[in-house]
Parts: sequence; structure tokens; C-alpha cells
Amino acid sequence: MVSTRVEFYPGAKGPLFRIIRTPEQVLAHLLFIAPLFEQANQTRHHISRSAINGYHHGWQTIIFDHYGTGDSGGELVDTSLVLWQQDIVKQLGEIKANSAQAIYLSLPLSAVLLLSDEILSYVDGVLLLQPDFNGKRFVQQFKRLALAAGFTQRKTAIPTTIAAAKKRQQTIEIAGYTMQENLLDQLAAQNLNQLTDVKVPCYWFEWLAQSEALSPGRAKQQQALANKSNKLIIQQITEMKFWQATELQISPEFLRQEQLLFSQLIAGAAEISGC
Amino acid sequence: MTSVQSSEQVSAQTTAQLIKLLIAIIPNYDESFWHAETELFGAIAEFDSMTLVTLIGEMEESFDITLDDDDISAENFASVASLTELVLERS
Repeated sequence: MVSTRVEFYPGAKGPLFRIIRTPEQVLAHLLFIAPLFEQANQTRHHISRSAINGYHHGWQTIIFDHYGTGDSGGELVDTSLVLWQQDIVKQLGEIKANSAQAIYLSLPLSAVLLLSDEILSYVDGVLLLQPDFNGKRFVQQFKRLALAAGFTQRKTAIPTTIAAAKKRQQTIEIAGYTMQENLLDQLAAQNLNQLTDVKVPCYWFEWLAQSEALSPGRAKQQQALANKSNKLIIQQITEMKFWQATELQISPEFLRQEQLLFSQLIAGAAEISGC
Repeated sequence: MTSVQSSEQVSAQTTAQLIKLLIAIIPNYDESFWHAETELFGAIAEFDSMTLVTLIGEMEESFDITLDDDDISAENFASVASLTELVLERS
């Protein structure tokens, strides 16, 4: 039986809902950083699978909801990028204070927009799942949801909510998420240039069909991280992008490769073949 | 003649690539369902705002194009054929 504890952790501003799986002998720690908004729902199932797999390899795995999201306390409208980062630092600090084992982060998709130099200073490595370091593009896509919702619902004044919020400089509602406009500005400003040298190993999983070439945008991001990182290992996953599908999709190749990485990191020999 | 064939080929390749993207995003239809005249917006239940934005992101990445907010219209997303036209216009 998997030893699982569910708790409300005292975050910087309020309680954070956490699911912690702790094996008898902890060989490493893995903190899952949820990606933002709808991406959190789109990746939740896989994150749970990864956490259980990690547990079976001797990793203590911690899943949590950011303040103002999911089952954590607070409202999204009361949060900020800095607050979310503080919550991550607080958790990492406590793990580090109580354990000598290595600490890793799992960062799917937009979760990398929460990275900071301070966060990286606590960890021994990061697992990046189709990371998108381009905050501006992420926010643009998110705002497009309002436009798309407008025309799929056959409304004429599509950008009303965005325009009105900009005028008021108050809150904005997109796809049911109400937040400070400022939060989107903070996220839009995030990119790899916000990080100085990345001194921990980065294990990058890139979903790309066998027959496809890497797009210029993705290649640019990989190169940018390679220029900053002491060690970047990129692993191609040839399956469908499970988070994009309109029905639940499993990515067994990724889960297999991730488990291999769990074993290798524990063994101290993280060399992914074929990279 | 060569020029016409070439643009037809480009159009066919674009359509094929768009269909690949659509299959990945909306996997619960047989491949035979997808062709140039397949209707999208208003015709496929799964084609909601989230699907649409996901598709836009994939189109921009895959074809290395940038779409304007004005491009997000029912007309452009009416069918695979109208999407093909949009991509070719922005390429």
C-alpha cells in the first residue's frame, strides 16, 4: 500500500493542499509544481501517476495546489507570482532542513514561469515537461481564451472583459478564472533571461512526433537553456501531447522514461540514452 | 504550370499537417473523418474555446506563423479548408 498523507500546509499567505507520498526509505524528494490555470487540470492525472511511480522508486513525492487554486486556501484574485514563489521556497526550505537527500522539481508546461534563482538554489535538479519559458506567449494564449469563448458563444463584444479590466486596472476574468490583471503582467514578464546561470542538471522531456522537426520556437528555447545550464539532457517523447487532447490520454513512453530517470538519478548515473 | 502544381502541393501539405494537429487534439474520430472539407466550428462538439486556442498555439508553432486576434473568427475556423487558407495567408 502506498503511504499517502493529505494535509493543509501553512503557506506564506494561507493553507496549501498537499498530497505527500513517503516511502519507508526516502532516497530523494520530488516537489511537483503545478502548471497554471487550465494546464493544472490537463496534467493532474499524469502528475499523480508520476508521483506514485516516483514513490515506488524510493522518492518522497509532494503534490500541492498553489495558493488560490485547486483545494488550497485563498482566492486566485488575491495571489501573485511572488507569493507562489514564496510558497515553493518555503516548502523547499523545510525539506532541505530535514533531509540530506537530493531535492528535485517537476515542472510541466507553464510551471517553469514560476522558477527563480532562489528556488533553483534549493534543488539538485529539475525535470522539465514540455516547458514553455515564454511568459508573453503563455499569457497571449490565455487571453485568447476570452476571445475564443466570445465567438464560440456567439457574442459580439468579445474582448469586453479584457478591455473593461484594463480600463479599471482591477480584476480580469478569463475562462472562469478571476485574477488581478497584474498577475498576468508578472507572468508575461517571465522568461529565461530572468534566471542567471542554471547550475543544476535539467532533464527536459520534449513531446515531438517521430516524423516532425522541432519548431524554431522550441529549438530557440532549448538552445537558450543550453546556454545557461551546466547540464541539459533532452529526451524526445514521440507520443501525443496528452494535455492537449479533448479526452484523457496516457503517455506511457514518458512515464517509462521518467521512471528510468528516477532510477538513474538514485543510482547517481543519470545518463539518458539517445540524447 | 509548375507554379500551380507547386502551390497545390503546398496547400495539400498544409492541409495534411493541420489534420495531424487536429487528430492529436481531438483524437476520438477516425482518421477517415478528417479531410479538407471537414467542418470544425459549430460542427464538432469538442471544438470549444480551449480546443480552439490549443489549435492556434500548435498552428503557430508548427507553421512558424503568428496569428492576430482578428484571425480568431468563426469564418477562419469553419473548416479544415478555411484553416488551410489562413495558414497560407500568414506564411
